[in-house]
Amino acid sequence: MTQPTESPQVPQPAHSAHSSHSVTLQVLLSLGVIGVAALLAYGATQIPSEAGYAGIGPNFLPWVVAAALLLCGGLLLRQALTGGFQDLDEASGAARADWHAWAWVSAGVLANAALIEHIGFVLSCALCFMLAVRGLRLAAGKPGGGLMGLLRDAAIGLLLAAPVYWLFAQLLAVNLPGLTDTGWI
Amino acid sequence: METFDLLMSGFATAATPSNLMWAFLGCALGTAIGVLPGLGPAVTVAMLLPITAQVEPTGSLIFFVGIYLGAMYGGSTTSILLNTPGETGTMVTALEGFKMAKSGRAGAALATSAIGSFVAGTIAIVLLTLFAPAVADWAVELGPPEYFTLMLLAFVTVSTVLGKSALRGLTALFLGLALGLVGMDQITGQVRYTGGVLEFMDGIEVVLVAVGLFAVAEAIYNAMYEGRSTSTMNRLTRVRMNRSEWKRSWPAWLRGAGMGFPFGTIPAGGTEIPTFLSYATERKLVAPQHRAEFGSTGAIEGVAGPEAANNAAATGTLVPLLALGIPTSVTTAVLLTALQNYGLNPGPQLFQTSEALVWALIASLYIGNVMLLLLNLPLIRLWVKLLLVPKPMLYAGIMVFATVGVYGMRQSAFDLFLMFAVGMLGVLMRRFDFPVAPVIVGLILGPLAEAQLRNALSIGEGNWSVFIERPLSLALLVIVLLVLITPRWLAWRRRA
Repeated sequence: MTQPTESPQVPQPAHSAHSSHSVTLQVLLSLGVIGVAALLAYGATQIPSEAGYAGIGPNFLPWVVAAALLLCGGLLLRQALTGGFQDLDEASGAARADWHAWAWVSAGVLANAALIEHIGFVLSCALCFMLAVRGLRLAAGKPGGGLMGLLRDAAIGLLLAAPVYWLFAQLLAVNLPGLTDTGWI
Repeated sequence: METFDLLMSGFATAATPSNLMWAFLGCALGTAIGVLPGLGPAVTVAMLLPITAQVEPTGSLIFFVGIYLGAMYGGSTTSILLNTPGETGTMVTALEGFKMAKSGRAGAALATSAIGSFVAGTIAIVLLTLFAPAVADWAVELGPPEYFTLMLLAFVTVSTVLGKSALRGLTALFLGLALGLVGMDQITGQVRYTGGVLEFMDGIEVVLVAVGLFAVAEAIYNAMYEGRSTSTMNRLTRVRMNRSEWKRSWPAWLRGAGMGFPFGTIPAGGTEIPTFLSYATERKLVAPQHRAEFGSTGAIEGVAGPEAANNAAATGTLVPLLALGIPTSVTTAVLLTALQNYGLNPGPQLFQTSEALVWALIASLYIGNVMLLLLNLPLIRLWVKLLLVPKPMLYAGIMVFATVGVYGMRQSAFDLFLMFAVGMLGVLMRRFDFPVAPVIVGLILGPLAEAQLRNALSIGEGNWSVFIERPLSLALLVIVLLVLITPRWLAWRRRA
């Protein structure tokens, strides 16, 4: 394939402190792939092999995928230990992760998953929006300004989630949980 | 002129007020999400899949295809004005387009990409109209061995041709295949990899994985790494081209369309290769007096060609989807799920069993293309206003729609936890440069390929030789091997 001489991304210095070059992380990732392969292989032993006319049964593809992932994981591990993953394009953005911001956004998504069937779509999504927007703003270095900021984000979240709920639940008959049975909240 | 009559009846269906409304909504929404960073057509269609429970098939498929086409138009706007290509297909547009915009010619770049998309899109739709039924007629003859080897080819090209590293691509593919194994086996009904979790019985939804890998991963990735990234927007000038710009654009459009369509139709991973190829060609063919513009002030040929190739290839990917039932890109994989939700199985039979729907869909492509030209040329300033939405609000808002899509599919809160896990997988993959398209294609095509493999072996009474005894499947196997071996052999020769 012809590669243009310039990449559309801003070029970054080679072998920077970019976390994707970390040997430890690459090794862990490769071990993760091998772990998935092992899990698949263990699962495959539980699947019966009765094959019928085909000569291969429902456990055939599981074994193939497990073996292939084991091979991929092994090759990745070898690359990680001998100079790192080959032809690695540095992903865009900062060299290190902002775990603080990650925690807020993740809390939003997980709270939504935990609460949606108890407090309904609208409130749960508004909460998710509030937490996520806080995390994303924190990442940009513009924290959201105290209680007033929090309330404002909650209000925006409600203003977004409620019409979405009405549109999908009322108009398009998508089954979304409400706090009440009225179909409005 | 059977095709012509069928197409006319397709127009009659597509031009009903409600279907026109769906086409318009799709095109408008598609353009909007194309302009907005962080959302592509695949994930948008995925999030909206729950509407298949209520909306009739023709309307919703016209809507979804409108989103697909619209995102192609909208994506070039962001590439040109912001240098942030949303989709791999518009990456090349950003190369010259951003430079043109920087030197005050944003309007001409936007005009050539909108009109070029229209010209190339129309050419590709005409070719689709002519070829897709022929491919479907031919495909009726194919048996399970040929289908399996075709799918094998799709797997190999999607995972090895596109990314930098075939190893990482294949790892992604096998992860997708592993996800596809979860649930009930199609042939024997045997339960696999559920770990006793009831929610896993029906398998893992493609929607969930697509939304997790793209939308959720994008939001989390942004919070983790992109908080401090800023982008400056180029000034928008009047969207028009002068005489010399027209003259330089149209040959590039035609060449781009000529390259894009065939690459879209073969399982070679969609739009990336033809856009790069078109860029390289235009760079080589440019008139000597304009050569210096490439890479400096921006050459219009470098926008016109790749944009045309991108659109023609995107339309081309509908040929293997409709005629063979084989998706070769993420978006067509999600469209396949939409068809499956209606109990429709894409493939050669679709042209017989759902003739009216297929032709209405093809007719709506013509209509959508005209709508998009009208939506994009005069209204471009309106779309650009969308870029004023602050990034935190945008990504947090996407989470709300992600919830609709994933929860609305099966009404299971468990799926939302799973979506988060897939999102974290997506962040890891993006950080370490693993392509994600093979995951989706592996997930959706894996179970289909497994069924074909076992049917093929039944035909061969358990003999693997069935794959090499039939000429077409043998030929496809040879191509698969060539795709796998050639790059390695070339690299080895260069070193030696």
